[in-house]
Amino acid sequence: MIFLTVGTQFPFDRLVKAVDDILGEGLIHEEIFGQIGTSSYEPRNFKSVNFLEKREFDIHLKKASGLIGHAGMGTIEMALYNNKPLLVMPRLSRYREVVHDHQLEIARRFEELGHVLVAYQKEDLAIKIMDLRHFIPRRRETQVAEVVQRISFYLHHMSGDNVNMDFKKIQ
Amino acid sequence: MDNKKRLKICLAASGGGHLTELMKLSDCWKGHDTFFVTTVPLVKDDLQATGNIYVVGECNRQHPILVLKVFLKCVKIAFKERPDVVISTGAAAGCMICFLAKIFGARIIWIDSITNIARISLSGRMVKQIADLFLVQWPELAVKYKGVEYIGAVI
Repeated sequence: MIFLTVGTQFPFDRLVKAVDDILGEGLIHEEIFGQIGTSSYEPRNFKSVNFLEKREFDIHLKKASGLIGHAGMGTIEMALYNNKPLLVMPRLSRYREVVHDHQLEIARRFEELGHVLVAYQKEDLAIKIMDLRHFIPRRRETQVAEVVQRISFYLHHMSGDNVNMDFKKIQ
Repeated sequence: MDNKKRLKICLAASGGGHLTELMKLSDCWKGHDTFFVTTVPLVKDDLQATGNIYVVGECNRQHPILVLKVFLKCVKIAFKERPDVVISTGAAAGCMICFLAKIFGARIIWIDSITNIARISLSGRMVKQIADLFLVQWPELAVKYKGVEYIGAVI
């Protein structure tokens, strides 16, 4: 089963309809389940709900062989953290889905880094869904500990008068 | 860390990715007093904060009335809480609280969101003028902009 999730804050009819259309045209035969949030388009060719409780959401996430979603950091992080292959379609300002094209930028960069697959337009979607089956996402290395250390260092020295100390010299 | 003064820290992030990024840094504010400023009530349950949680609502430049509403709420918060430090990942509401808290003498720590790759966010570019510590999550941004540091990515 592929789990389609578009977040719960904003609709993403373009993606929901595109997935529905390619199932309708028989281009793919994967089972799809969707959490479509506030999208107004009602899919005919796969099961969907508007919202899932966290517990139910996690059950679907665990069961899914792959995920389809928008290129939001929440979705990307969830997929990487759970080691699930993710296909994203960026929300675009051209369709008034977002104010800036950040999702396009992050999709491009994370695709280059091997973390996600990207369907830039509806026409790419069917083939990318097929690719999802064999896609192994590259693990992402983060530097949370180092950033925490940098901020903690700053906070620690706030009480003293040497606030502008050069962190790099101290290290 | 022994005789460390307890600081009052304002944690500010819009719901969604900004908040996820900020929460990755939760080890920073252990042992300090904190309160949250965020934009959507949904996330309230996820914040395991000891301090107050203020939900100011979403806004962007397309909706000036909303911006004003959020701004006034932020004025109230900054005036009431008087934080020593603001730590924010953005976006608009985080930017406002940074400027307002700065008026009351707060130090500003800004971590620009990972989604800004080609350039720093609009909020970030404004806060950069007053930030005491400004971190970016892509090395090329630290080359492109003066006064910003790249330590690494949090997400």
